[in-house]
Amino acid sequence: MKTILKKLCADRGVSGSETELLPVIRDLIGDIAQITTDNSGNIIASMGTHNTDKHILIDAHIDRIGLTVTYINDKGFVKAEPVGGIDLRSLPGSTVKILGSEETTGVICTMPPHLSDGDELSRDRIWIDTGLPAEQVKKQVSLGDKAVLCSSFRELIGNKIASSALDNRSGCAVLIRCARLLENETLPCRVSFVFSSQEETGELGAGTSAFSLEPDEAVVIDVGFASQEGVPPEKSGKLGCGGIISISPVLSKQVTDKLIDLAARLSMKYDFEVCGGSTGTNADRISASRGGVRTGVISVPCKNMHTTTEIVSLDDMERLSELLKLYIMEGGACNA
Amino acid sequence: MLDYDLLKRLCTCCGISGDEGQVRSLIINEIRPFADELSVDNLGNILVLKKGRKRPGKKLLISAHMDEVGFIVTHITGDGLLKFDCVGGINDSAAFSKNVFVGKDKVPGVVCAKPLHLLKADEKKKNPPIKDLLIDIGAESLDEAAMYVSCGDSIVFDTMYENKDGRVISKAIDDRFGCLVLIELIKSELEYDTWFSFVVQEEVGLRGAKCAAFTVAPDCALVIEATTAADVPYSEEENCVCHVGGGAVVTFMDRSTIYDREYYLTAWEMARELGIKVQTKTRIAGGNDAGAIHSSRGGVRTLALSVPCRYLHAGASLASTEDMEAVYALAKAVAGKIQTL
Repeated sequence: MKTILKKLCADRGVSGSETELLPVIRDLIGDIAQITTDNSGNIIASMGTHNTDKHILIDAHIDRIGLTVTYINDKGFVKAEPVGGIDLRSLPGSTVKILGSEETTGVICTMPPHLSDGDELSRDRIWIDTGLPAEQVKKQVSLGDKAVLCSSFRELIGNKIASSALDNRSGCAVLIRCARLLENETLPCRVSFVFSSQEETGELGAGTSAFSLEPDEAVVIDVGFASQEGVPPEKSGKLGCGGIISISPVLSKQVTDKLIDLAARLSMKYDFEVCGGSTGTNADRISASRGGVRTGVISVPCKNMHTTTEIVSLDDMERLSELLKLYIMEGGACNA
Repeated sequence: MLDYDLLKRLCTCCGISGDEGQVRSLIINEIRPFADELSVDNLGNILVLKKGRKRPGKKLLISAHMDEVGFIVTHITGDGLLKFDCVGGINDSAAFSKNVFVGKDKVPGVVCAKPLHLLKADEKKKNPPIKDLLIDIGAESLDEAAMYVSCGDSIVFDTMYENKDGRVISKAIDDRFGCLVLIELIKSELEYDTWFSFVVQEEVGLRGAKCAAFTVAPDCALVIEATTAADVPYSEEENCVCHVGGGAVVTFMDRSTIYDREYYLTAWEMARELGIKVQTKTRIAGGNDAGAIHSSRGGVRTLALSVPCRYLHAGASLASTEDMEAVYALAKAVAGKIQTL
């Protein structure tokens, strides 16, 4: 699981540039699934039999938050704006990689303590300093290039990982792991694993892929809030709890109950996240696609969401992969 | 050219104030064959005499500090998270969401606070104060954390090091760059006998330099530093202090010292003669070991030469190798000159 996740936590694949991850997905499951892409930048891995009526969509968004270059000044400083809901607090003094014609390292401008007692945080005041002359910057960087905050993939105590992009590359890793668990099984249904695009900027890929694929039911895997300082217990699951199962009015009770039932059969521990309305995940789009899709949500508990130092537990991811595998092997929640 | 591989090794050493041992060992290994006298004093300063071709009229001390800013573990919570305090001046904005190493075993951790999605609107606009931040090493209880870390453990930024296309991005350029210049001078042929001090605890009050200057008892001193460049796009020209790429910084005054006027003018003159790019600071800002050295014993005539460096005291600072070369060239020239003044 660690190897899968590390490969997925590549510096690439900011919202709008998801297909940069296509070689990684091919490398991980190209031998056992048929891999395609579509107009919206979704990467779709199909498995199972097409001779049944049953089609399950398993979604995990693959895009990561980042920055995009909007301006280069005459000294070579690069102005950028967020792509997705980046935590502005994490920017000052962070190193970034600008993914232009050549990868260029820079630092996000900040004022030193000798002159200021802190930075005003605003999405209009993000400047990247590459330290290079303007002519060279303009050769290597173009407007619209994406940039990501650098954060090495680091192992913490207790089988936990700290990295950027764990939202939602950890969900993608669960899909990959699940696909590998299924490789020698005869599936009772058709399964589309969708590594969907542009969740962070408005759930575009989930909407278009659900429309095109016309599934009967869907399970969405995203990250959920892990318990930490300042997070109320009812909004979170403990890191290492096994995983989070969501309950919400917009989700299918059948799918949710099935997930709960299967978790019990696996003697798997989990926490609930109960929402009074929409879930804030791709499920909100998928469930209302075409004539409606029965949808459930499971999540990998994640600390420090939308920073460069998100934390997840590999144990949770392993358990969720097993849960998904069983869900697929049972042919989903609603056997006609 | 300066030995940038050595700069990398210096910058990636862990050595907050009071815990400079790793830096000290590296430096001693580098300079031992070239030093005529070498000792480590009670505070941990390295004091070195390097003989030149001639005996000088004036005793010169060239000094740089070994310590870097960082944090220290002050408390472990019941949930296994670490409370910490700053060692040296670090802005609230520099700490949040950074990768760090804790303790001598370099346990990886991350600095965290309440997540974004749950903040009130006004909380999103400013960085949380450092007192509200926690370090997460993955431990789930006090007992588990205590197996890996203890109160009083040092914490340093875990930052990439990159030297490419004439600029260095790294932690601790302040003042491992100064250490590099001193090492290079010690390895080079000198005109006059010269004393060197690699000092501790600059960032917590110029403490090592005070004792080193007392022991060496120089007539004159040269401090090699990294100084703050605030030449970022939203900084007005008069507030930039100095510019990366603008050459070596020769300071007339900062918050700790009014520098010797004759030395200051000599540095400018030498730079003009040798065609070395120089600039001065356009704001009375910052301070360095000169503050302790120039007031030592009966007084020491002192000059500081610095490399302009952006994002000083943050995880990733940035400086130009061209400026670094300028500081080294000017230091070498000025050192010989002021011993004759």
